Amino acid sequence: MSARLEARGVKRTLIDADDEVPLVRGVSFSVNAGEFVAILGPSGCGKSSLLYLLGLLDRPTEGEVLLDGAHTSGLSADERTRLRLEKIGFVFQFHFLLPEFTAMENVALPMRRLARLSRVEAEARATLLLDALGLKGEGRKRPSQMSGGQRQRVAIARSLANDPVLILCDEPTGNLDSVNSEMVVRVFQRLAHEEGRAIVCVTHDDNVAAAADRRIRMRDGEIVADER
Amino acid sequence: MSANIALLLHIAFAHLRVRARQTIVAMLGVSVGVGFFLAVSAMMIGSQTDFIRTLIDSAPHIIVRDEARAPPQQPANERFGDGAVQMHGLRARDEVRGLKDWPAMLEAARAIPGVSAAPALSGGVAVRFAGRTEALGLTGVDPRIANQIVDLDEDLVGGQLADLENVQNGLIVSTQVGRRLGANIGDTVVISSSVGVVQRARIVAFIDSDARAGAEGAAYALLRTAQVLFARPNIVNQIQIRVPNPDLALTVAAQLEAQWGYKWESWQERSRDIMNALVIRNIIMYAVISAILLVASFGVYTVISTNVTEKRRDIAIMRAMGFADHDVTRVFLIEGVVVGALGAASGFVLGTILMQILASIPFRIMGDVFYIPLDRGIHQYAIAGGVSMFSAAIAAWLPARRAAKVDPVDILRGAA
Ligand SMILES: Nc1ncnc2c1ncn2[C@@H]1O[C@H](COP(=O)(O)OP(=O)(O)OP(=O)(O)O)[C@@H](O)[C@H]1O
Ligand SMILES: [Mg+2]
Repeated sequence: MSARLEARGVKRTLIDADDEVPLVRGVSFSVNAGEFVAILGPSGCGKSSLLYLLGLLDRPTEGEVLLDGAHTSGLSADERTRLRLEKIGFVFQFHFLLPEFTAMENVALPMRRLARLSRVEAEARATLLLDALGLKGEGRKRPSQMSGGQRQRVAIARSLANDPVLILCDEPTGNLDSVNSEMVVRVFQRLAHEEGRAIVCVTHDDNVAAAADRRIRMRDGEIVADER
Repeated sequence: MSANIALLLHIAFAHLRVRARQTIVAMLGVSVGVGFFLAVSAMMIGSQTDFIRTLIDSAPHIIVRDEARAPPQQPANERFGDGAVQMHGLRARDEVRGLKDWPAMLEAARAIPGVSAAPALSGGVAVRFAGRTEALGLTGVDPRIANQIVDLDEDLVGGQLADLENVQNGLIVSTQVGRRLGANIGDTVVISSSVGVVQRARIVAFIDSDARAGAEGAAYALLRTAQVLFARPNIVNQIQIRVPNPDLALTVAAQLEAQWGYKWESWQERSRDIMNALVIRNIIMYAVISAILLVASFGVYTVISTNVTEKRRDIAIMRAMGFADHDVTRVFLIEGVVVGALGAASGFVLGTILMQILASIPFRIMGDVFYIPLDRGIHQYAIAGGVSMFSAAIAAWLPARRAAKVDPVDILRGAA
């Protein structure tokens, strides 16, 4: 079985004025379906940079990212956007919800963009996703009317909108208290183990690291350890 | 695709609602521009149409005179052309004045559907009464058909064109000439023509020279009377023509001129100077009005530009979610078009109200009450709406392009 996600010698160098700043220096690993992987490492070691590369938001200077065994380096910007829409869900530390829309509308947005469901169907599914994350009856609230933990769960619900095979998180519990972060961890475990999604989660949180199936440790843009 | 447009519209409206005040200010800019465009162009075009109508209706649409555009070829030249022999000092053949084939030309003109044509003979005369003399241009007409070409009766006082037939040698002169001569209706005057024929004539009506521009020195008599006065029996030197659609006068004239020779002068040709002045007037009007609409679109530019800058974070998250760069460009483009459309719609209302106000203002000129002639044509609305929407779209497109260039990674890094 081919891996859900594979990084092959991925390098990313930033050319800043005259000097080159290496963000990621040749990283190779793969993640299977149903696997929950944590990426750990000191601040500034290139974890977020790697995540943007895996999520097709950024292009590697060298090496390649494969999604479901398919090469992505030859794809046009529009094709990469399409893959993000269909296969990848993002969760960021600062929950990035669109402030003008309600929780339910935020979750429905990626479905409406994909347009496989009608608006009514998309909003019905959004409500179900929110219910599953313990946000029953909160769908009509705007982000500004919700707590940090609630917003992060809305962001997770949104990452699940188009039933992605891969979920990428950047410090999803960074702003949450232990109760909320405990809850988010259990959600990720369920998404990986029961629903068979691959989860790659950049984190500083020991609880998240402990709950993951695998821990990849980075330093200075390189992988230094890969523990099961 | 349409589902996508609905989604982008939803997002665009959400952005506009958040910045309602700026949106409304930008929209009002467009609506004032459109409103004044409509009011000003209604006035300009209305007065122009009014002016052209009097210009057209005060004289025949086409006048054929017994003159040619180029001097006729002399028989010797016709015979020998540009041969080796050059002839000098030839005595030019005298042309018989008058339209040669006028009955056939009259038939040809009348054969065109809707066209009326009438023969006339004109020339210079001196009119004498009680020791005073006035030099006038006399036109001999057939009263039974002349009114079909130009409605003279409308501007006659004291009588009608048909009265020319009721007396021996009837004559119509302008009110002003009548005053200067001291002559009244029923008075007998003496006419002497340029060829030396002298006749008595009786005034049957006056042309109101205040109502009819350029009528001051004009005089009318029967065609028969004129032919006697100018000693040219059975000859006419003018054919006057009315066409059903005045705009077609130029083409009809050109067509008949190609067939018959002579000079077929349309009202367009006759009033070329005035028409050129009107074109310049229109250019100035449209330049001023385009400037108003251009200024209005600055407001659209400002509000969309601010939105793009403030929504960089939202743009990044939309891109991460799977929205393409052209999706976000479209969101902001739509915002501009929506502002332009709302502005145009409210501008239509404003413009209609302004026209209503203008139309209700009475002007008193020498005792008569006038209202500003207004053109409320639908195409003015179409132009105003089209131009304002187009300039709003351009004004929005310039900053909207920037939205596509927002790199989500830059924003995410900055926030993390
Ligand atoms: N625009 C930039 N110009 C120069 N250097 C940059 C730029 N963006 C990031 N870097 C550098 O790249 C390196 C990797 O950054 P990255 O955000 O991937 O680290 P990280 O592991 O996610 O850190 P943290 O845990 O603090 O989020 C850092 O050393 C950072 O200083
Ligand atoms: Mg980071």
